[in-house]
Amino acid sequence: MIDLKLDRVSKKYRIRQRDPSPRRWYRGAFSQSVAEVWAVNDVSFEVQQGEVLGIVGHNGAGKTTILKLLSSITTPTRGEMTIRGRLAALIEVSSGFHPELTGRENVYLHGAMLGMRRSEITRKMDSIVEFSGVEKYIDVPVKRYSSGMYVRLGFSVAAHLDPDIVLLDEVLAVGDVAFQAKCLDRIAELRKSGRTIVFVSHDLASVYRICDRAILLDRGRVLLDGEPRSVIDQYQKRTFADSSATMTAEMDSQQPARCVNISFQTPESSDSIRTGYPMIARLGYRATQRILDPVFRISLYWPSGYLCAQLTSESSAVPLLLEPGVGVVEFQCPVLPVVPGLYRVDIAIETRGRPLDEQQRCATLFVHAGRPAAGDFYIENACSIRTEAPRFG
Amino acid sequence: MQDSSSASMMTGVHSDLSTESATALAVRPRSVDASVRVIRPATFSLSTVVLGLRTLLHYSDLLYTLSMFRLNVRYKQSALGWAWAALQPLALMGIYTFIFAHVTTVKTGGIPYPIFVFSALLPWIFFASAITNSVQGLIAYPNLLTKMYFPREIIPFSYLAAGVIDFLIASVILAFLMVHYRISLTWNVLYGIPILMILAAFAAAMALLFSAVHVRFRDVGLAMPFVLQVWMFATPVVYSLEAVPQRFRFFYLLDPAAGAIDNFRRAVIYGKPPNITEMAWAAAIATVSLAAAYAYFKSSEAIMADII
Repeated sequence: MIDLKLDRVSKKYRIRQRDPSPRRWYRGAFSQSVAEVWAVNDVSFEVQQGEVLGIVGHNGAGKTTILKLLSSITTPTRGEMTIRGRLAALIEVSSGFHPELTGRENVYLHGAMLGMRRSEITRKMDSIVEFSGVEKYIDVPVKRYSSGMYVRLGFSVAAHLDPDIVLLDEVLAVGDVAFQAKCLDRIAELRKSGRTIVFVSHDLASVYRICDRAILLDRGRVLLDGEPRSVIDQYQKRTFADSSATMTAEMDSQQPARCVNISFQTPESSDSIRTGYPMIARLGYRATQRILDPVFRISLYWPSGYLCAQLTSESSAVPLLLEPGVGVVEFQCPVLPVVPGLYRVDIAIETRGRPLDEQQRCATLFVHAGRPAAGDFYIENACSIRTEAPRFG
Repeated sequence: MQDSSSASMMTGVHSDLSTESATALAVRPRSVDASVRVIRPATFSLSTVVLGLRTLLHYSDLLYTLSMFRLNVRYKQSALGWAWAALQPLALMGIYTFIFAHVTTVKTGGIPYPIFVFSALLPWIFFASAITNSVQGLIAYPNLLTKMYFPREIIPFSYLAAGVIDFLIASVILAFLMVHYRISLTWNVLYGIPILMILAAFAAAMALLFSAVHVRFRDVGLAMPFVLQVWMFATPVVYSLEAVPQRFRFFYLLDPAAGAIDNFRRAVIYGKPPNITEMAWAAAIATVSLAAAYAYFKSSEAIMADII
């Protein structure tokens, strides 16, 4: 059964620009020149019941606009959307809060804005308060809350909605790591119970982990629609092509060194990267001056946001020296110990504790199944059996 | 080595959380016969109104919660609290009594001027504050409009509902004044209820209209205090409709607020039944303008999040 259907949906935004010439004084409000932007352009897709759809794309690709259209915050300029069932949009979890009201009053207010009945909120109040972990302060005005408590309470209300379709924006992924983990767990629960989920995120690792299907948006159009891995692959290729170009363009003379690209390969370059097999990481850099003792770091992050492992040039015995120009730092890993999955990659260059370049979420690493591994890491081992003579009596 | 051990420890924290949330939240099985909604570009049409009213009904609990919240928040951190609902009409009563009973005189038909003006100030303040609050209230929290969906008319309606409570508080003062001036209560006071409903309908229409335009043109908010001041003097608040020369009376018929306020005073203070012609006009105009204003509001609601 189809839960969501978008049929040739388009959304036009008019961006008003004030006429900077003195004419604006007498031509008044109507003189503004209007630039038109199609944030969503002729988009059609369907989401089956129980399916988890991920929407990826650059900033401004129209991801959030699609969520806003689906949640009725704004309406389409053209086209038609069909929604089957109760829909809840978790676009920002605590925007319905009023600072003067207590936590409890805000739960009622925010819950009602999300479309819950008062009786429903009363019934779920204990559970909401427990989940948020702010029991002690529930009757205190929320202006006295820390920002963490604020977000937790807001998410707790939203988590108690019982929707058929859930829209999740990436803002949910903001917050501390424990909170992110909680969000992801709740999504997993909803998914298990057959809810339809539309998930918008920059975090490709989460999209890969959660979604059954993914859509790649580019300038308001659907570029790809299919299996998450191939969509993410394509997206990365495009992003990589884009960002390496911008990386060099942005380089200013003030910055002594900068990473310009990164790639992960195997010695036989056609092969895919597998757990327990060799891997080579190549970090391209550009330096404008001579740098003593440079340290290169490649950090791999779990989908949950925790640091999984780090490749660092500090571990090399020979002190390094960087001459001005372009080059490549190569990390040879004889055995890749990380388990299969998608990892987020951050890169950094520093010298003697002073950071020269830091780029977060600049790439992802796909690790395919290789040697059997359970738990968090593969432990390189040589296993053999030594028989001992049985001792009788 | 150190990194890997800390990472696995962190993942341990992660799995603890998942068990906690599983116990705190049970997920019900998905409803089978889910309703189907179709969203199309918004238009200024009857179907927009019908669809809007259906959604509004679904969100009726929000209207209640938000109205209570208006009352709660308004008097938080104020020393006088609820007394403010009565103070404003009392202060205006004082100054108008000084001007229109002592500096110059206004014909009241034998009714003491303070209660004459007070009985009209109550419905007028209800009307005017519903409009002012709605106009400011709709844009007061842009996040609500850009980050969440609920029928936007609930914001103006909640100010209107909160205004009813303020009106009831101030009515207690009116009752005291009536006892003080020995004005006897008749059954005709019950006409006050339908009269106030007409006034509320017209206030709702004006609140919807002005607040929707205000999202686009902030000129409305700037003009509002002055417009309402002119409107008050164009309405029989400080004088009675009977004192208005016959040739101007027609214009008063066009303003449901004028008809409602004058007839409210007539029913409550004078103990007479209202003028049926005036009330029929007022009711008709209020109904038509409410329907039109609602349709306009709903059709512009679609882009409020885009232009706020």
